[in-house]
Amino acid sequence: MAKLVLNCTVNGEPAEVLVQPWDTLLDALRERMGLTGPKEGCGTGDCGACTVHLDGKPIASCLLLAMQARGHVVLTIEGLGRPGALHPLQDAFVRHGVPQCGFCIPGVLMAAAALLTENPHPTEEEIRYGIAGSLCRCTGYTKMLAAITETAGAAAGRRS
Amino acid sequence: MSTVMKTTRDVKGIGLSIPRPDGPEKVTGQVQYVADLSPRGLLHAKLLRSPHAHARILRIDVSRARALPGVRAVLTAADIPELKRKAPTRAHAVLAIDRVVFAGQPVAAVAADEPAIAEEALDLIDVQYEVLPVSADPLEAMKPGAPPVADAGTEADTSEAQAHGSVAGVTTEAKPAKAVNISQQARIQRGDVAKGFAESDVVIEKTYRVPMVHQGYLEPHAVLAQWDTTGFLTLWSSTQGSFNTRSEVADVLELSENRIKVIPMECGGGFGGKIRALCEPITAILARATGRPVRYVMTRREELEAGMPAPQVIIRLKTGVKRDGTLMAIEGEAVLESGAFSGAVLAVSGVFLASLYLWPSFDVKGFEVLTHKPSIAAYRAPVAPQTIFAIDSQMEQLAKAIGVDPVEFRLRHLQREGDKMANGQPWLSNGGAEVLTRLAEHPLWKKRAEWKASSPKGRLRGTGLSLGGWLGGLQPTGATVRLNPDGSVQVLTGQVDIAGTNIALAQIAATAYGIDVDKVRITTGDTDVAPMTGLSAGSKTIYTVGVAVMEAAKDARNQTLEIAAKELEASVHDLEIDNEKVVVRGVPDKGITLAQIGKKGNLYMSKVQPVLGVSHPAFSQQAPAFCAQLAKIEIDPETGEVTLHDFVVVQDVGKAINPLAIEGQMQGGAVQSLGMALTEALVYDDKARLTNPSLLDYRKLTSADLPNIETIIVEKPSPHGPFGARGVGEPPIVPAPAAIANAIEDATGVRLTELPLTSERIALAIASAT
Amino acid sequence: MRRFELILPESVDDCVRALAQRGPETKLLAGGTDLLPQLKNGLLKPARVIDLSGVARLRAIEPADGQGLRIGSAVTARTLELDNIVRARYLSLAESGALVGSVQVRNLATLGGNLCNAAPSADMAPPLLALDAEAVITGPKGERRVPIAAFFTGVRHTVLAPDELLVELVVPTPAPHSGGNYLRHTPRRELDIAVVGVASQLTLANGVCTKARIALAAVAPVPVRATAAEQSLEGQPVTPDRIARAADLALEVARPISDQRGSAEFRRHLVRVLTRRTLITALARASA
Ligand SMILES: Cc1cc2nc3c(=O)[nH]c(=O)nc-3n(C[C@H](O)[C@H](O)[C@H](O)COP(=O)(O)OP(=O)(O)OC[C@H]3O[C@@H](n4cnc5c(N)ncnc54)[C@H](O)[C@@H]3O)c2cc1C
Ligand code: FES
Ligand code: FES
Repeated sequence: MAKLVLNCTVNGEPAEVLVQPWDTLLDALRERMGLTGPKEGCGTGDCGACTVHLDGKPIASCLLLAMQARGHVVLTIEGLGRPGALHPLQDAFVRHGVPQCGFCIPGVLMAAAALLTENPHPTEEEIRYGIAGSLCRCTGYTKMLAAITETAGAAAGRRS
Repeated sequence: MSTVMKTTRDVKGIGLSIPRPDGPEKVTGQVQYVADLSPRGLLHAKLLRSPHAHARILRIDVSRARALPGVRAVLTAADIPELKRKAPTRAHAVLAIDRVVFAGQPVAAVAADEPAIAEEALDLIDVQYEVLPVSADPLEAMKPGAPPVADAGTEADTSEAQAHGSVAGVTTEAKPAKAVNISQQARIQRGDVAKGFAESDVVIEKTYRVPMVHQGYLEPHAVLAQWDTTGFLTLWSSTQGSFNTRSEVADVLELSENRIKVIPMECGGGFGGKIRALCEPITAILARATGRPVRYVMTRREELEAGMPAPQVIIRLKTGVKRDGTLMAIEGEAVLESGAFSGAVLAVSGVFLASLYLWPSFDVKGFEVLTHKPSIAAYRAPVAPQTIFAIDSQMEQLAKAIGVDPVEFRLRHLQREGDKMANGQPWLSNGGAEVLTRLAEHPLWKKRAEWKASSPKGRLRGTGLSLGGWLGGLQPTGATVRLNPDGSVQVLTGQVDIAGTNIALAQIAATAYGIDVDKVRITTGDTDVAPMTGLSAGSKTIYTVGVAVMEAAKDARNQTLEIAAKELEASVHDLEIDNEKVVVRGVPDKGITLAQIGKKGNLYMSKVQPVLGVSHPAFSQQAPAFCAQLAKIEIDPETGEVTLHDFVVVQDVGKAINPLAIEGQMQGGAVQSLGMALTEALVYDDKARLTNPSLLDYRKLTSADLPNIETIIVEKPSPHGPFGARGVGEPPIVPAPAAIANAIEDATGVRLTELPLTSERIALAIASAT
Repeated sequence: MRRFELILPESVDDCVRALAQRGPETKLLAGGTDLLPQLKNGLLKPARVIDLSGVARLRAIEPADGQGLRIGSAVTARTLELDNIVRARYLSLAESGALVGSVQVRNLATLGGNLCNAAPSADMAPPLLALDAEAVITGPKGERRVPIAAFFTGVRHTVLAPDELLVELVVPTPAPHSGGNYLRHTPRRELDIAVVGVASQLTLANGVCTKARIALAAVAPVPVRATAAEQSLEGQPVTPDRIARAADLALEVARPISDQRGSAEFRRHLVRVLTRRTLITALARASA
């Protein structure tokens, strides 16, 4: 079977990549584009480690075929911020000592970033539900909540 | 060993909440795990696994799979000369030889150009099985005549118990000849329990059940294997102990250990499940067969069906007490279901049951039982949460039955330092009483009556607490500390950082040497370069490697001072390190910088020795560590739904080297404990097949199920740990099941004894009680 | 995942043509949240997959010429959760969409996929049953309409022929003074599958219940309506006693099994509890 050409936008840049019909978006990002930030924790939508944004919305990239992203805009953790130019959430995660093993962190951050875009002033409950699709086995979520709450608060502070 | 090095000002070292230096890499997705590695020529491995829990393999035909284009190797046991019958461990049972003993056991292995091709190749392998009767239930499997699991003559594996350095002195008993599936048996006994019960005013007998649970690390097992042309094997592995992995793989492949290099990659969680080798041998064999690098990443389904979960534990307890609160007797059995291979830490259970509280007479038996399920491994404080669930539930009920305060009752009977454990060894210094006392002072405990009374219509509120702990592990280790030419310090160990230990070790090095931690870099080396070290398990990394780092840093400091003494023509005793400079005390302008000393150790033709501090200690004294937890809950009695309103963790850490990292451990451990308490279980059918092989149905708690976890750190210094530190990782996973069961009883009056305490169990118990 | 050929149609007609050419070896792909796990676990090994994501019509929500609302089969659970018209008219459907999986799943999971996958636990089915929705199906022989109550034929089976496609759902606008509610029970709060789900819909006129609908998920091979319970409410004021009786009657259609998600006993217990609770909320909403 011939490979297909996937055209989409990845982390702000137009991308043209050869993918297999059965490649998931996660496969294509990791294996064909070298973007290994999104992780595969389950491959079946149950853990959130593979979360990326598709047109600004968080999705489980292990459940989307790469070709279903044709013409769409994809953002991965690599596009959220870089070392030295961290996204405020990334910065807060570091300062609060959130990451332990780190495997869930790219997915949690993408879920949290999407949440704050949609709902800049979430309640604790809204944050808890907003990142509930991302399982973390190490942290117990408490420091995540603190980091996200602080970021939302800081954003609010800047606006007012 | 808790001498603090003198400096004129406090260096940035121990006691500070410093975020891990790998944070920026982790939040940007730059950290590399095994599955992120794709060397040129990479092949992908897949394993064909048995759908049956017990079957004879009559025939395997791989010819169609081998013929599929893109397939580079298809192997069965017949292709691997090193494989032997009577595999003593899971690692040795690389591929089933002629009998499968659990559903999910690997039967054949494929390496192919693409994962999709490898999967199709699996479909083309034709295996004929003769399905055999299974032992699916440990209590049935114990009986004579049950379908046998192990081949006759296979030895029990007690290396797990040793890895966790837990308990000695429990008598092992000869097992009954006909009970083929009892792989280990032990008994601890003292006094006359029959008399004790006869003289008791209240006797309570209950059976507690905790199902198999999975460690649940988010990164599935992953290995990359590559051989060079000289027959040297390199393994990139997600492991909790690279030296252990090397030894196990060397043993299975009959290779000399110096022919193998294990590179420990960032470990995406282990919790005991990545101690033993699992897929390293088969990946190495596929790489050997193909001459190409081979990567194997387990799927989540494989993890759940064929990982190495925690044992099912069934504990029957009978306890007697006098009306005045005097403990009289305890008797019971603990059955640990070990799956298809032996390896449970049997003795932990016996010791916690009989010697956490002071029983004048006890008789506790332990059995390790094999069944046709995946073999088990450690899971954070192996068997302690299960055991504490039983004994603490029992203590709570005894206190209630005689109408005494449950905290006072526990404190009155809690064994203290010097008291003899059931195995005759004395309890070492610990903070058991301190953490429980501290928790009992918490407003949430003091106001528990108000909370209960405040239940809104249709809801029931309650509070519960529990005390548990871990004895602490030991293992020899080593570390080196170097002074660099720019005056910075470099620490090298082989210890895999699975819990934020590297930053804490750097802090220990900083304080012991006398330099700010920002000037300390710590590296985990591979098995070729790093000092040999033990597992990252048993809550012993800081307790043991911390000592090695501290001693190596002191050694480096002494060498530094000696060099400085010569250069400054001063006595070593008059020198101190201040602000990256060695100075003569009282003569501030007489000094030499660390950079100058470091440079001299690396100059062409220099006669100054480079500074290289070394320490490679072994240990004999454990440091027990205790944790007490409180749950404030609300129950919807109709649906059984439990809302956790507050959860408090109080833990004795000896000395908090890095409070931030410790809080993270306490919170994460507590949530695993809560998962075990409320929702997690590997559920098997009567054919011993897993019915919930996904993270949708194997329910780890999500952020929506939880409150913030409050942490309170207690510091009762251990006599031997670095700066008084104790192990931190394991204690917080222990108490929650009992705390929740106690809280549920407080709220509803119903006592539940089988984990998980699901909404179904709660609702149906309430419905049948009313 | 095993290999397959991928077809990327851009219109419903393209889809129908592609379906007509291909046999039972072909699977339609919407959000993939049911299909991809099935492919990955090897439960299905299709030779060809037809991706519906390029067909704009399937994602539309638009008025159905006075008959209510057309909701395209590829509308996501997340859209149902947030869409203002859906929330205003069919709150129980929005509630069911909001409960699916996690936000990462809801942004992919579609209404059509939920129905066509035909799991007994499908959350979006009971509200549609309670709202008297109709499925619009198209195939080589043209379009047909099937009441949603007749859409499911068994576990993972529907009235769809292999060459047919679910295009949209037509949901009638409820009469004034109507209210609905969907509740389910799950062991976890998010990321879980219903042990039991119940949708109720009530319409009132002058204090009397003129129409009652109660639909249950995960208690039978297909989502079912509790018609005896519905009839017990119609034609009279809705009182706590009648609600309690309706909750008892709802049990009559429940034929639950025991599995790892819940025992038959617990499921029966939940049917009562959730039916009562959804009726209380539906009544409050209808009265508001
Ligand atoms: C983590 C997770 C959590 C979940 N939680 C829930 C939950 O809480 N509640 C719940 O109900 N479900 C849940 N699901 C299941 C799933 O998300 C839903 O059923 C979803 O609505 C399916 O939609 P889809 O678009 O992803 O379907 P797909 O996977 O694309 O398709 C499902 C099936 O329908 C067929 N199909 C799709 N569209 C059409 C069409 N237009 N015409 C004909 N056939 C079609 C496909 O061929 C396939 O057989 C969950 C799934 C995951 C992975
Ligand atoms: S890997 Fe996609 S949700 Fe787990
Ligand atoms: S940090 Fe390890 S899973 Fe979240």
